[in-house]
Amino acid sequence: MVLYDSATLGGSCSGSSSSSSSSKPPPLQQRQQTQQDIDGFLAGAGYRVRSSELRKVAQRLERLETAMVNSPADLSQLASDTIHYNPSDLASWVDSLLSELTQPPTCPSEFIMDPVSNQTVVSDAWTTAEPHMPQVHQNISYEQQSLNNQLTVVPAMEEDSGIRLVHMLMTCAECVQRGDFSLATSCLEDMQGLLTRVNTVCGIGKVAGHFIDALSRRIFQGIGGGSVNGGSAYENELLYHHFYEACPYLKFAHFTANQAILEAFDGHDCVHVVDFNLMHGLQWPALIQALALRPGGPPLLRLTGIGPPSPDGRDSLREIGLRLAELARSVNVRFAFRGVAASRLEDVKPWMLQVNPKESVAVNSIMQLHRLLGSDPNRNSPIETVLSWIRSLNPKIMTVVEQEANHNQPGFLDRFTEALHYYSTMFDSLEACTVQPNKALAEIYIQREIANVVSCEGSARVERHEPLSKWRTRLSGAGFRPLHLGSNAYKQASMLLTLFSAEGYSVEENDGCLTLGWHSRPLIAASAWQAVSDGTADFPA
Amino acid sequence: MAGSNEVNLNECKMVVPLNTWVLISSFKLAYNLLRRPDGTFNRHLAEFLDRKVPANLNPVDGVFSFDVLIDRATGLLCRIYRPATAEEPEPNIVELEKPVVGDVVPVIIFFHGGSFAHSSANSAIYDTLCRRLVGICKAVVVSVNYRRAPENRYPCAYDDGWTAFKWVNSRSWLQSRKDSKVHIYLAGDSSGGNIAHHVAARAVESGIDVLGNILLNPMFGGQERTESEKRLDGKYFVTLRDRDWYWRAFLPEGENRDHPACNPFGPNGRSLEGIKFPKSLVVVAGLDLIQDWQLAYVEGLRKAGKEVKLLYMEQATIGFYLLPNNNHFHTVMDEISEFVSSDC
Repeated sequence: MVLYDSATLGGSCSGSSSSSSSSKPPPLQQRQQTQQDIDGFLAGAGYRVRSSELRKVAQRLERLETAMVNSPADLSQLASDTIHYNPSDLASWVDSLLSELTQPPTCPSEFIMDPVSNQTVVSDAWTTAEPHMPQVHQNISYEQQSLNNQLTVVPAMEEDSGIRLVHMLMTCAECVQRGDFSLATSCLEDMQGLLTRVNTVCGIGKVAGHFIDALSRRIFQGIGGGSVNGGSAYENELLYHHFYEACPYLKFAHFTANQAILEAFDGHDCVHVVDFNLMHGLQWPALIQALALRPGGPPLLRLTGIGPPSPDGRDSLREIGLRLAELARSVNVRFAFRGVAASRLEDVKPWMLQVNPKESVAVNSIMQLHRLLGSDPNRNSPIETVLSWIRSLNPKIMTVVEQEANHNQPGFLDRFTEALHYYSTMFDSLEACTVQPNKALAEIYIQREIANVVSCEGSARVERHEPLSKWRTRLSGAGFRPLHLGSNAYKQASMLLTLFSAEGYSVEENDGCLTLGWHSRPLIAASAWQAVSDGTADFPA
Repeated sequence: MAGSNEVNLNECKMVVPLNTWVLISSFKLAYNLLRRPDGTFNRHLAEFLDRKVPANLNPVDGVFSFDVLIDRATGLLCRIYRPATAEEPEPNIVELEKPVVGDVVPVIIFFHGGSFAHSSANSAIYDTLCRRLVGICKAVVVSVNYRRAPENRYPCAYDDGWTAFKWVNSRSWLQSRKDSKVHIYLAGDSSGGNIAHHVAARAVESGIDVLGNILLNPMFGGQERTESEKRLDGKYFVTLRDRDWYWRAFLPEGENRDHPACNPFGPNGRSLEGIKFPKSLVVVAGLDLIQDWQLAYVEGLRKAGKEVKLLYMEQATIGFYLLPNNNHFHTVMDEISEFVSSDC
């Protein structure tokens, strides 16, 4: 039995106002009041509409319908050409369609004529249509909803043994949480025994094996990381590369982020991308090529790549930079590269990035921000420090991709359970991909994450994944507002998946962000942000 | 007021609460954008716009849910909704398929609506509806994520329904204690109601009992234009044009609306006489333009000697059962509860 799990609230709403015209997030108290005003019935259907605005939204819907009926264009073509954003914000969605339809000068005269009397007629009809039943306003506080678990159960060959194995893993984890290491050890022995009777090539047997290993490590080697985190930069890059090739998660991350960056850079001639984790620079050729093909010509592109220092005197960052420069030259894009070597992201200081005030900056973080969540009571929280200096750069866009999982809970058992589900899903999705020689290395990449989540603590535990809902709160509180990823990015991501991956992967829209998952479980979430320009940020207390 | 071809916004506003009007209108307009004149469908935009919710192992209002992949080949997913019990208020992962407790536990296989083209089992509106059904019927609900038109025409949706039916029927953990059998009801709204009918027919033909069918505004049609279709065209969110589009998208190419999938008691239909077809609860909205076909369906069942209860909700429009803000909703939920519990 292979288990999947999700910690996301699909269709849930963030606390921040999405595409409203206000330039900074409202103070906390106001935000809560706003939330209480939301129509509870529509919220249950996935739409966020303020009760006080229902009438206005209804009127706009009527106007939209009239505009659609009177539209000379083929509606479906219009639908394809328009980029839709964040359908949960119904008012904005209707308004954006309305402006699409009413902008062209060939607006039919029936629509323009007599807007005043139209409105009078409309409002009369609405007054008499007031429902006689009292409307119950359900108080839904999205920020308070605890993260939910979702499960997909796949029947496999060895159902009973699989279930027993899972049961034993949970028991073992519970012992570990309680500090009962002798019982945990005997659990481990039992599980090792059961593993021999279970297929460990795929399904529950495979992922269980990794969790048993991680538990063993924790019990026998302690929580300091050691061999788990001891891989060299070269090894890490290699594993990352194979993970990139074997399944679509990183490709989706790169593609979605690039799309958003490209749009943010529209109309700007001097642009600067800061990549928080350069690795082999796999993300950037596509952006360079897209910029080369930009109508109006490419901008001057600067790329600053952050990565760990190379131990053997090689400057691997520079080598990647040189290769990217070659590519840029071949497509006539003026390009400059700078490498910033740092073992930890929090060691990077903004002056190292040498951002020019005239540039448009994009900050790109692919699975890096969660590493800053380790807390040390003696230091300033690294995440706050880093978010603060990002904000000081006033980037045009910050693209954030993170694992969609709740692996940073303080309770060990909860974290263990979440991880079991998350990585079961991920392994299952990997099995569906074409068998390649590098799939095994991709699995080791994932295995290392598992080991870190399960067997490490304190500063050694860097895989502190948190779900989208938490990132939303955190980033809004740090003075960022969301930039919504639209239907064009969604469509292209879906199409790419169909072309390059197995059946079963799904892209979903979640309140302006996109997630990629396996069947109905999102596993990775991409979002885009912009620093709120005026006033001070609300730092979380 | 205006002729039936013009957009007539005024009448439907008078009969539904404001938030219902907003919900159904926004669906209507979104759907208008998705259907292309050439019969193709903008699936990417449809999935982008659809509001979905994940399954939730933490009980909410006493119901928890989880997804199951029941057929890898077709990617057929079902979402299972179970009541949280007093003994196990928070189920852990190994207890998802714990045997149901009870002498008689109804299992409702639910097929969501969407005119065969829209929505999914994890659409927010259907997740909400299924959760409600668990509560009012004290049942386990299995919501089937069947393949949709136009990419997958007849008989894909029915085949998926049948696959799900067989799967449910063979789960030992869904058996009622009384007779070690799974007590199955089939339910659905719009196209889901249509699917429920056809799956029931196949089930009884295969000798498996179905205890009852619950059809909410089931989607049926026929080649002829009925009086209700002419009278109500465009008046209450739905037009004949869009109905025609969806049939063209679902039925095999070249077939017309007298195909038995669409018109089970029509010229190409098959009599149910002598077949042990289950009792049916059929809900018809008085402002639904296809009501004549739904009433003809009820008539067809009666003529074949099958037990059927018709609930005709005069002032109800399509989708009235999606939001619990009107009297029709509560009436229908009470009837469904009664219909399912009468076997206990």
